[in-house]
Amino acid sequence: MASDSSPPNFNNGPSSPEDSISSPIGNTLSSPGDAARHRGRRRSSTPSAFATPPSNRSRFASSDATPSPSRSRQRGGGRRASMSTPFAATPTSTDDAPMSSEGGEGYNADDIRPTYVWGTNISVEDVNEAIQRFLKHFIEQSSQSDGLHMEGKYETAIKQVIEIEGDSLDVDAHDVFDYDPDLYTKMVRYPLEVLAIFDLVLMNMVSRINPLFEKHIQTRIFNLKTSTSMRNLNPSDIERMVSLKGMIIRCSSIIPEIREAIFRCLVCGCCSEPVAVERGRISEPTKCPREECQAKNSMTLVHNRCSFTDKQIVRLQETPDEIPEGGTPHTVSLLMHDKLVDAGKPGDRVEVTGIYRAMSVRVGTTQRTVKSLFKTFIDCLHIKKTDKSRMLSEDAMDVETSLGNRNTEEIHFDEEKVAQLKELSKQPDIYERLTKSLAPNIWELDDVKKGLLCQLFGGNALKLASGANFRGDINILLVGDPGTSKSQLLQYIHKLSPRGIYTSGRGSSAVGLTAYVTKDPETGETVLESGALVLSDRGICCIDEFDKMSENARSMLHEVMEQQTISIAKAGIIASLNARTSVLACANPSGSRYNPRLSVIDNIQLPPTLLSRFDLIYLILDKADEQTDRRLAKHIVSLHFENPESLEQDVLDLPTLTTYVSYARKHIHPQLSDEAAEQLTRGYVGIRRRGNFPGSSKKVITATPRQIESLIRLSEALARIRFSEWVEKRDVMEAFRLLEVAMQQSATDHSTGTIDMDLITTGVSASERMRRESLVQATRNIIMEKMQIGGPSMRLLELLEELKKQSASELHLSDVRNAVATLASEGFVALHGDSIRRS
Amino acid sequence: MVGPQYDFLVNPLGVVRSTFEKAIASGSDPTSFDAKDWGATDLFSHFLFDQPGLSRVPVLTPATLRWVQPNTLVRFRGMVQDMIGNELYVGAYKDGSVWRTNKFMDVAQFPMGTADMRIWERRLLYCVPVPGQNAWTEISTEAVTNQYMDWTFQEREKRRRADDESDECKDMHVSADMAQGSPDTKRMKEDEHPSLATPSQGALPECSNSGMNMVPGYDGNSLPCLVKIYDSPESDIKLNDVFEFVGVLASNVEPHVDSKDSEFADDFCEDPLQHFPANKVPRLHCFIHRKLAVSDFLQHNTIMEPKSHLIKEIREALLRHLTSVLGNDAVAAHFMLLHLLSRVHARADPLAVGKLSLNLTCFSKETMSAFGNLLIPAVKNLLPFTHYIPLTVEYLNTTALAPRKDYDTNRLVTGVLQLAEGTHIIVDETKLEAGALNSAGVENARLLKNLMEFQKLEYDFKYYKMEMATDVQLLVMSEGKSNILPADVVVPFQPSAVNATETVVGEALDAWRWYLATIRQLPHSIESEMQKVVENDLVAARQADRTLKPQDLSRWLTMGRLMSLSFGETSLSPEHWQMVKELERLRSERLK
Repeated sequence: MASDSSPPNFNNGPSSPEDSISSPIGNTLSSPGDAARHRGRRRSSTPSAFATPPSNRSRFASSDATPSPSRSRQRGGGRRASMSTPFAATPTSTDDAPMSSEGGEGYNADDIRPTYVWGTNISVEDVNEAIQRFLKHFIEQSSQSDGLHMEGKYETAIKQVIEIEGDSLDVDAHDVFDYDPDLYTKMVRYPLEVLAIFDLVLMNMVSRINPLFEKHIQTRIFNLKTSTSMRNLNPSDIERMVSLKGMIIRCSSIIPEIREAIFRCLVCGCCSEPVAVERGRISEPTKCPREECQAKNSMTLVHNRCSFTDKQIVRLQETPDEIPEGGTPHTVSLLMHDKLVDAGKPGDRVEVTGIYRAMSVRVGTTQRTVKSLFKTFIDCLHIKKTDKSRMLSEDAMDVETSLGNRNTEEIHFDEEKVAQLKELSKQPDIYERLTKSLAPNIWELDDVKKGLLCQLFGGNALKLASGANFRGDINILLVGDPGTSKSQLLQYIHKLSPRGIYTSGRGSSAVGLTAYVTKDPETGETVLESGALVLSDRGICCIDEFDKMSENARSMLHEVMEQQTISIAKAGIIASLNARTSVLACANPSGSRYNPRLSVIDNIQLPPTLLSRFDLIYLILDKADEQTDRRLAKHIVSLHFENPESLEQDVLDLPTLTTYVSYARKHIHPQLSDEAAEQLTRGYVGIRRRGNFPGSSKKVITATPRQIESLIRLSEALARIRFSEWVEKRDVMEAFRLLEVAMQQSATDHSTGTIDMDLITTGVSASERMRRESLVQATRNIIMEKMQIGGPSMRLLELLEELKKQSASELHLSDVRNAVATLASEGFVALHGDSIRRS
Repeated sequence: MVGPQYDFLVNPLGVVRSTFEKAIASGSDPTSFDAKDWGATDLFSHFLFDQPGLSRVPVLTPATLRWVQPNTLVRFRGMVQDMIGNELYVGAYKDGSVWRTNKFMDVAQFPMGTADMRIWERRLLYCVPVPGQNAWTEISTEAVTNQYMDWTFQEREKRRRADDESDECKDMHVSADMAQGSPDTKRMKEDEHPSLATPSQGALPECSNSGMNMVPGYDGNSLPCLVKIYDSPESDIKLNDVFEFVGVLASNVEPHVDSKDSEFADDFCEDPLQHFPANKVPRLHCFIHRKLAVSDFLQHNTIMEPKSHLIKEIREALLRHLTSVLGNDAVAAHFMLLHLLSRVHARADPLAVGKLSLNLTCFSKETMSAFGNLLIPAVKNLLPFTHYIPLTVEYLNTTALAPRKDYDTNRLVTGVLQLAEGTHIIVDETKLEAGALNSAGVENARLLKNLMEFQKLEYDFKYYKMEMATDVQLLVMSEGKSNILPADVVVPFQPSAVNATETVVGEALDAWRWYLATIRQLPHSIESEMQKVVENDLVAARQADRTLKPQDLSRWLTMGRLMSLSFGETSLSPEHWQMVKELERLRSERLK
């Protein structure tokens, strides 16, 4: 067994006690003297290894009540598969067991009843019965009410395992706890013994259900009640079952580990019986077993008849969030066997359940001195991939679940947490509280934060039978003066969102955002590579410096933002990729600072087609407002002269916020209530009517159907924030308010003061359009008056003077130039440089 | 203390043993010592600080390593460069019927029983001398050395004479605890003997040893050290902290761990200790550690009362010195002084409050060589840890600025910017020419920018980046305003003369060092009245000039704080606030 580092002198050294180090587990037990002897119910896990001779088997059946140690179950360096017979192991001779942590043979109490686990008062029979009861009778709470004659959850699971010829049964430790807390405690405290009994009971059940089932089924415990942090593992955890979260950083190659060896005599060719691994090594028979031969030192290993199992050593590192300030991450080694091999790749975040073990380090094969050190590792029982740092991407059904990867991408919301979240959601001020918790260090901007919160929660995506799609994602554009912490908001949302991608407009090209086709350098095939938007499918794509993005790249966003797909037709590949992403973009005004005299469009300088696709456009302006300045000054002064920690308000921490949002996105799908629908209609009509000036015939379009979709999405998101299944009237009201807050800032027509959706959809406001028309008319009149066809030309400046004489309002040369250009396009005049000639 | 006086310096382990035996004898159960001390460290702290024995403890440096004996008390000053994790060891075990301890030792001295043992844990820290430490901070250990040398020579002589029979000479020093009459002393001596009498004890590793290059963080004259910490809460020691560790120097002939025998070594070289051969990286079993502040590095600790008139005098002198170094540019000198006093005193994520990085512009290649040669040594002379970065395209492209985790060796490979708190960095941007940055260069530029803006450095852990808070003072010298390194203050440098290097009297230098080290740490507050004044000023300034950003206002406050601190005052006064505003006015005039 390759994993075994037991030094050779163990083989000859049982007589010299100082040669071996034994159980370090004294402190886990009440009486240290027993420590060495009570460990090591060995387990064998691999099917291949389970070539149990029939005789052996019958003994299992008979020794139902006593977990005979010969029921070996092997998993690794620690739990060595010495197929020790119970009778050979007398308590006195166990002290020389090579490994510290399982220093002894399983102790057979020589038929003294009841049998106890060594060093404890745990009765083996009791445990055995408790496990049997649990496996047979445990029924999940949720299904309990369904019927009285339900089969136990694990009975069903066992049948399934038999059906698919699996080799392990996953047992949820929460179930064990719910059914029998005492058993749970014992299992965590003495995992080796209890798991051995567990396996035994399981095998009995299996053979009862299907006597012909040959494979060995292993118990895999997962989901312990408490999860330890890697940092807090200490000597008292040795030999206990622990659950850890971490990130895999290294995997060793797969190491074949010998389980049973067969030797052949070189003289007579006789093959030996399979020799099992004992204490991590295989003793080569010194002479041929055949009576007639008896040749000495003639046995040789027959490699291809030996049985092997896979073994892998994996290093697990703390995830960044568990590292305290000023620390470096801790690492721990995991020992994986059989099916667990290659279950995780470097970079995966996993939750591991296993047994913490320690192993003494020997100084050298030849030296007698023992380094007083122990190496620790975790004998892995179960591994589960998690990714908790980000919000969960929604719609589990849409996520491709390949058969092999059970548990991937599935965050378990345990009941306690859910109850806690629900409790939180009932608070009347939850909306305000969440707003405060969002980027608490960014000062003010509460309405913007509310909008961002809505974006995080998202609306409901709708797919009609006709194939029409309505996106549920909310797109937000932040436009603002430099230094108004837009980028920080963006960074924060990026950290929080599921699968978010953060790009900077200046650095992204169209293909970088969408998808591009490349030639594989090796095969020469054309392959499709996903860009940022595709990669952030079901997430939030944060684009900084949106204004600095090339025109070409920006145009790629049109399809994404409404249809939520990306279509590619390049190099023979025609594809449509999903990009169900919310876009959060931020931009600086065109003149780097917002010019209030210019219209929003002139300030933002983005194509109106794109602008209309944003549900909310926030103008974050640095207003010259003494009140704000004073607050800012106060803020800065207190920052410098007070303890900044004391300034923190009562906010939710990031993990809570993340789980809250993930839970809502996954489980809450609010519907519009009638009342809300009515309010929505009324409000929408209201906004549209607002454009009607009394006494004015011109119509300003104040809202477009796109806005009503936005409103629906926003109100859905607001309902989600409250964990409510129904969108209520107040959600709709708040959605209107949010839209107005955003729109009043962004769609105010500076010449009329009303909300003007035209500003966003065409780039020119209705009143501006009217002003231009009247200017063109006035110019036309002047030209008609002053100039003849074919007559002398007139300079623009002269024209401007003339116009100024007529109209009271301020005029610029550029306005005049525009007007003349319009006339020129009509063919009324000809424009050459600065001179106008009537044609 | 009842028993005989222990020799703390020469036989610290004797202290450990005898206190342990005493504790056991008085009926304590060794199981109760888990993560606890039985009184040994108290004795040491009494010896070190109350008796002042600290100065008699030799400091571990490449020079002293030649003669310091293993298993004696030494101290090491260094920065925690990496944390290697916890180590489980047999802390107490039963040898026959007697409890023994292994604490503060690597190798068990007695045969270990099989059944009765307690496992304890200790933390391993990889420490290196503080990067950029200037020569003047090194402890002049001559006095200690001489005294120590004498007596190690004696000892060595004796040992030579005694040769195999080293028992006798051992007795000289361990007699103290021998006298305890432990029946096992004889055996213990025998056990200790082989480790002490190894051939390498006298001939310690040469610095030029080629193998040294393998040891990360080793550069010729510095000596890394592996410190083993016992029973201290984790939050005590942080990465990049500067500590003084006092403990037992482990015997440097660590038994070689047979790698073939180790299960994990096959695949992982998991044991990071393998990368630090014991004869190159000494092991220190630490009894007592204490965090060092800058003031601990001052040589002549003539502790002065921070009296205001004294401080004003020092301030004036220092300012004159800086002005002269900066070619009679008084404004730049003022900013320089404030800059040298700055430190991050609070963090409101993501802002670091209190930093004041300085960008002196209008340097050309010529003026740089003239003034750089004055300024760099001047700063070196004033601050204990300094670092100089000549920024070139090649430097950015090739240097590893941020530390990086190497998963092959499971070590944190240090980077240029892994620095102790309070380190001063001069970035010379005048050498930067046009050129293409590769991805490493872009990354490095980003790191520098983040360091400058947020005082944070991202450590590369391959699968993720981890941000570490830093507190370094950055001074940038450039031709125009540096865009790679956006400093808090940009001051166009206008020298009027190149002054020759003036010789500074040692006493004045000491006073200045003391001033800079002490003043930085003073607390500071603001009266509510003054707060109003400041607020009104800020509002007025912002009303007048809309281009003022919150950062600018923040900078003013930082400067106000530093200005009043520089006079040794702990609350902002109107005059100092006026001075700041005046200084800012002068600066903005230059910027036009």
